[in-house]
Amino acid sequence: MAGELKYAEAIRQALADELASDPAVVVMGQEIEALGGVFTATQGLAENFADRVLDTPLAESATVGWAIGAAMAGLRPVVEIMFMDFITTAMDQIVNSAAKLRYMTGGQVAVPIVIRTPSDAGTGHGPQHSQHLETWFAHVPGLVVAMPSTVPDAYWMLRHSIQDDNPVVFVESKYLYFRENGEIGPHDPASHLYGARIARSGSSVTIVTAGRMVAETLAAAESLDTEGIDCEVIDLRFIWPYDRETLTESVERTNRLIVVHEAVRDFGWGGEICAWAASELFYSLDAPICRVASPRAPIPFASPLESAIVPGQAAIESAVRDLARH
Amino acid sequence: MTPTGRLELYETMVRIRKLETSIETLHYGGRMHGSFHSSIGQEGAAAGVIGCLRSTDLVTSTHRGHGHAVAKGMRPATIVAELLGLQQGSSGGRGGSMHLHDIACGFLGENAIVAGGVPWAAGAAWASRRLGKDLVAVSFVGDGGAAQGVLAETLRMARTWGTPLLVACENNHLAHSMPVERTFGEPGSIAAWAAGFGMRAEYVAGDDVFAVNRLAAEMVEEVRTTGRAAFLEVEVWRVRAHSLNDPDYRYLPKDFGKSHLQTHDPIANAERDLPLSGAEAAAIREQIAREITRAIDAAFEGQTAPVRSATTGVYSDAFERESRLRGW
Repeated sequence: MAGELKYAEAIRQALADELASDPAVVVMGQEIEALGGVFTATQGLAENFADRVLDTPLAESATVGWAIGAAMAGLRPVVEIMFMDFITTAMDQIVNSAAKLRYMTGGQVAVPIVIRTPSDAGTGHGPQHSQHLETWFAHVPGLVVAMPSTVPDAYWMLRHSIQDDNPVVFVESKYLYFRENGEIGPHDPASHLYGARIARSGSSVTIVTAGRMVAETLAAAESLDTEGIDCEVIDLRFIWPYDRETLTESVERTNRLIVVHEAVRDFGWGGEICAWAASELFYSLDAPICRVASPRAPIPFASPLESAIVPGQAAIESAVRDLARH
Repeated sequence: MTPTGRLELYETMVRIRKLETSIETLHYGGRMHGSFHSSIGQEGAAAGVIGCLRSTDLVTSTHRGHGHAVAKGMRPATIVAELLGLQQGSSGGRGGSMHLHDIACGFLGENAIVAGGVPWAAGAAWASRRLGKDLVAVSFVGDGGAAQGVLAETLRMARTWGTPLLVACENNHLAHSMPVERTFGEPGSIAAWAAGFGMRAEYVAGDDVFAVNRLAAEMVEEVRTTGRAAFLEVEVWRVRAHSLNDPDYRYLPKDFGKSHLQTHDPIANAERDLPLSGAEAAAIREQIAREITRAIDAAFEGQTAPVRSATTGVYSDAFERESRLRGW
């Protein structure tokens, strides 16, 4: 597969390739058929895969429940939830059914579904179209939570997720859909499957992040490099399970840890990473662990307010400088 | 329907009743723990509707679903073992009373989230059709569940996509303590509401198992042929309190259940209509009682799953192997 794709095109390509390679795959969601998805992720698929890319009514709960039933009967449904905020209306089916069915049936069924959903602020969509809610799902036993930040990861992680026998909440970056370019590149099963990615090697501090915050963090790292602070940036890729080996190996070298995410800081997944590191990597740490994340407020519409809420390059740089002083 | 078929409906009801009265005894004797939602008095719906299905057809149920499980062919011993929390139970003791599942029987299972199983049934039936299987699904829901948004969503989606689904709504007059008269109105009102989704929707009184079975058979046949969903409201009478945790029955007269059973007992009505003599009925009841006693004795032979297994089987085997290796 040669040539550059945009992030949204990588998602579309992964769906097309899974539809082509596995007849059990069906794609369901709102406005995905004739319209091709509000972010074009399914554009053209309905024409190429007749009766397998299907518009649903505006009924997220029934749609996810329907997909669960279809999965129990042998299909591999991929559900698109148009904005991650809307996933709240399907919470019962995700949390009480998809996540628990394998366990509460004593292994009689698997629920191989993927729930694709775009998140991120930065696109002027306001308080009910911008939230990062991945922490909620990482908290629920039975779910896998994926959050790709690059074109190859968007492609390969989605293909893996569709073939995963566990239910996967697949958090896409709507900020990156048309901004991030890249080649799909070769398949690397070891890292695309539940593995983190070292996005930048460094020796001064480990910064763990995911999704569109990877780009902000890399920009901060380049800037800090000119000040003599050499950041290692880890793109977590999967919020659950998170790759503890890669984190351990990195923190043992840098002795400093920062977690950056767009989700609200309080009780966010960064807290989990910090608690784990404080417990397991305590003797490798030379400085307090630090979180850079959104404050406790909804995402506002006005661009200057939105920028004030969402962590950016400047906030990351400032946190790293503080930490580097230790 | 053949005389044998009619007798089988009766026997199914007796089996459900005996199982549930035995479960009550086990609870009151301190031999069983947890919650229990009795379907005593509602057997006509379970036996009548499921009695017209094929073994390959699918059923989803509610938190009050022991009767549906029995009618779909789950072994009473497996049910009791699950209620005892034993490894030999259908879910190895992980589910309990509100989580009976037996996929081999086509019993996709109960769901303790009210109306939560309806979209499973719709999706499973739809997927099975696509995979070339000529089957239908029946999803049981109560009058309480009829108020849930996911039911309306699923009926809307069933109309949009088409799926061979019969929703069997057991209107037992009470959503826990809320009378259905306050939420929907007179019996038949739920069917009238469902008809608004553009599907065939009927009402039948559930104390006549043969009437339930006749109408359900006709509707299931139509669902099977057309691949379109339909809705059947079965009026039943909840004889017991909502659950064992609700023993006082504060919201109704104390003899409420008993008087219902005197006037609307589907088992007594079936004995009258078959007809069965007192001696014939007693012989059948005794035979089924022995069968249930044997099942309970067999269930008590089981063992609790090893405690270390409590955290396994959450994810796929491949995932959990990886998890152990990588310390997640």
